[in-house]
Amino acid sequence: MKIVIVGNGVAGVTCAMTARQRDPHAEITIVGGETDYFFSRTALMYSFMDRMTRRDLEPYERKAYAEQRIALLRDWVIDHHADAKTVHLSSGTTLHYDKLVLALGATPNRFGWEGINDVKDGLVHFVSMQDLDACERLTPTTREAIVVGGGLIGIELVESLLHHGVKVTFLIREPYYWPLALGREEGDIVTEQLRAHGVQVRYMEEMKRIEVDAAGRVSGVLTNKGETIPCQMLGICVGVRPSIDRLKAFTDPPQLSRGVVVDETLQSSLPDVFACGDCAEIQPIEGRSYVEMIWYSAKRQGRHVAANLFGDQLRYAPPIFFNSSKFFEVEYTTVGEVMSLPEGTPTLFRKHPTKPLCQRILHNGDRVLGFNMLGSRWNHEILERWIRERRSPAWVVAHLADAQFDVEFGRANLASCIQRELPLAKELAR
Amino acid sequence: MIRRTPAGLFLHDLKNRGLSAWTLSLLLIAFYGILYFGQYYWTPDSPCTDNASCYSEGAVCEAGACVRESQLERGQDWLYRTATVHIDELGWKLGASVDAATRPDGTLARDENKNGVIDNWEHFGNRWTIYGLLYTLGILLGGAWICFKYRHNRYQIIRTGVVMMVQTSFAFSLPILLKFFHKPEYYFSYMWPLKIDYLDPRNFAYYGEGLVLWGFFASLAVVPVMTLLYGKRWYCSWVCGCGGLANTFGEPWRHLSNKSSNAWKFEKVAIYTVMGVAFFSTALWFASAVLPESSSLHAAATGTRKWYGLVVTASLSGAIGTGLYPIGGTRVWCRNFCPMAAFLGIIQKLGRFRIRVKKEMCISCGLCSKYCEMGIDVRSYAQAGLSFTRAACVGCGLCAEVCPRGVLRLENSAKVDPQELSLVSFLDESWKGASSSVPAKI
Ligand SMILES: Cc1cc2nc3c(=O)[nH]c(=O)nc-3n(C[C@H](O)[C@H](O)[C@H](O)COP(=O)(O)OP(=O)(O)OC[C@H]3O[C@@H](n4cnc5c(N)ncnc54)[C@H](O)[C@@H]3O)c2cc1C
Ligand code: SF4
Ligand code: SF4
Repeated sequence: MKIVIVGNGVAGVTCAMTARQRDPHAEITIVGGETDYFFSRTALMYSFMDRMTRRDLEPYERKAYAEQRIALLRDWVIDHHADAKTVHLSSGTTLHYDKLVLALGATPNRFGWEGINDVKDGLVHFVSMQDLDACERLTPTTREAIVVGGGLIGIELVESLLHHGVKVTFLIREPYYWPLALGREEGDIVTEQLRAHGVQVRYMEEMKRIEVDAAGRVSGVLTNKGETIPCQMLGICVGVRPSIDRLKAFTDPPQLSRGVVVDETLQSSLPDVFACGDCAEIQPIEGRSYVEMIWYSAKRQGRHVAANLFGDQLRYAPPIFFNSSKFFEVEYTTVGEVMSLPEGTPTLFRKHPTKPLCQRILHNGDRVLGFNMLGSRWNHEILERWIRERRSPAWVVAHLADAQFDVEFGRANLASCIQRELPLAKELAR
Repeated sequence: MIRRTPAGLFLHDLKNRGLSAWTLSLLLIAFYGILYFGQYYWTPDSPCTDNASCYSEGAVCEAGACVRESQLERGQDWLYRTATVHIDELGWKLGASVDAATRPDGTLARDENKNGVIDNWEHFGNRWTIYGLLYTLGILLGGAWICFKYRHNRYQIIRTGVVMMVQTSFAFSLPILLKFFHKPEYYFSYMWPLKIDYLDPRNFAYYGEGLVLWGFFASLAVVPVMTLLYGKRWYCSWVCGCGGLANTFGEPWRHLSNKSSNAWKFEKVAIYTVMGVAFFSTALWFASAVLPESSSLHAAATGTRKWYGLVVTASLSGAIGTGLYPIGGTRVWCRNFCPMAAFLGIIQKLGRFRIRVKKEMCISCGLCSKYCEMGIDVRSYAQAGLSFTRAACVGCGLCAEVCPRGVLRLENSAKVDPQELSLVSFLDESWKGASSSVPAKI
């Protein structure tokens, strides 16, 4: 069997490795246009901050691909013929497949800001290896930078720039940091962190126009408050979307919507064509379609597709949601329904009187629905189990210490946190 | 540190195998060369009339000059007693006690010198004492830096505090005091097989029954029990001076350890070879002490003692181990050669210590692998969601510290060990066997 995988991100590579374990004889090829070897996109900031080399970002040793007999091609796939079962690469090569996996990842969003078409240099995103190249090239000539977009990628770019001694202004459209996932109180803790590190954070402020100098390099940004902020570098981190632009030019594209539309077995509208990872839009038989843009989902979907390539017909179901992140020194763990809960959902909010340490337990009076934990480490496996077991808020508070995951001797002092009932306040702009 | 400032550029160079790192490494190796071997080759023969006038150099008077061949003989004893003021050096210094210190058959006797206290001050200027002082300062200054750098992490603060305390007391002050009061110089923070001569029968007379019994008890009871309960970390990153220096002064270079599977293969061959040699040497020494006089056995015992001292103690633990900090990372010795680490590692595999991995939370960023001083590819376990116990792991806790997603936790747990205990798992230790760099579970 000939398996061709497009995209050497985590979804594609996990799919290839799993397929190899399943079938020692399959012919497996991965085509990726961005880098020669799979790297960890999530660690871009650590490379930018000199904590790791580019090579350190690669999760597998290079010889692993040869050992697993997975052929790597550094190229872009630019066309696809469904009847002939071929993909065409920008170098002119044609590959025949029995099964095709699209693991194309995501592309940064850009909106139609005034002046964006005049920009020749100084504008960066923070998603691809080429973005990292641009950031590293521009940083030495940058004294002031502006980062637009108060999400996870934005704050990582801010932290990296600060590390290089750049003065950063952080423009955030919303009234506080990341209302999509955080409550007001958590957002305020992150704001304190940002300000303590010298970031100029401006909430409810949006970019209106990009100004450029004579050479076409970004020189400043006009905001909706009528102020022009000077900068030599502009980071745009306003979310990502599935990378399907190239597919639109294919002779036979699969059905596309937000991403590559797939059913619950992760198969697209075309026979023997699958999709997984950031680019897949999963359309369940009932209910709304969704795109999961996180690392572990890409891995799960990659494994899942590998099984279905061999005819397993497994249906993909996302787990109870969990994720973690780090805002400067403050660690963040979330489990369960937090993102999708409406404003006013009852929560138990517990906060340390002085430290950036808090826990939010979301519930419906009867059982817990989700957790938002800031400032200490938590075992999401246990928190997840409590949600599944429909534990009551009181029971969970009494047993909270069992889910702590801090270092030895370093347990966060939960007893000193002050607890109060607090409805979830999101205060989303518009 | 910002890389574009001159200081930042220099630090970057020093920490990432730049020119300054190579220079520092050469200087350190040269320092160890002089420390261990300098005296024998570089001190000119001085004229003399009798042995007494050569005492201060530790030589004997032959044909009107202090001859160092005999010194070389004795000196190699030194090599294998790292970083200590040797009793016969003390003897030479104190003149009167020289005969008591070295018995005619070459074994060492307890120092029976009863001279005035004033004489004893001399050895404070001795090079081993100065080396000990530098070493201790390295641990104290580096330790203070670590306590500041990781001030949010109590495991690091407590661990580093203990290392600093053990170094200043058991590994520095106490031995000096013991010498000062003419007691055998004993380092309670070191044990066989690291300090291999503590179980060498030829030294038993020098140390006396109490210390010899303690030596047996420490190595054969305290070490295994503590390691079963807490893993080898209780020793390698809480007590031992080699680990102490690596985790404090060595901090800027901890990330340089080689993470490749080839480095791991080398490690397994090298460390168990040294351990085998150490065990074999000890057995040989016992045999030559217990069995009836046999000149070939005696020669073999003396030979292994010399070569062990020269190759393992002086070269591998000193010159290579510390000298290569800026190039190969801080634990070159601990990871590849230390017989104690090998011994503890095997016990650790049977015990309760493990690194717990939270399922599916790892983002494969690789910081844990990068900052593991033992060159363990922690990421390979973390991204596969496998809790693990690696023989090499010294439990420094830095992987858990640097992980930005809080995936890892060091723990002692009586729960079933997630790793199988078979000969294969001892050799390969996990999925990451000789043939594949990819786990069975992805
Ligand atoms: C800065 C940053 C930080 C992040 N941090 C986290 C985090 O902390 N936690 C978390 O859960 N998630 C995080 N994410 C998201 C996570 O990285 C993604 O969900 C994950 O990488 C998706 O993997 P993938 O394999 O689907 O796609 P990708 O990793 O994007 O890989 C797709 C690859 O396919 C290539 N490709 C696309 N089209 C073609 C074509 N036509 N021909 C050839 N090759 C093609 C692309 O160039 C790319 O290399 C982060 C993302 C970024 C950018
Ligand atoms: S695995 Fe972790 S605790 Fe063990 S030696 Fe490496 S960094 Fe230290
Ligand atoms: S540091 Fe943490 S997130 Fe990064 S690879 Fe290691 S375990 Fe995974």
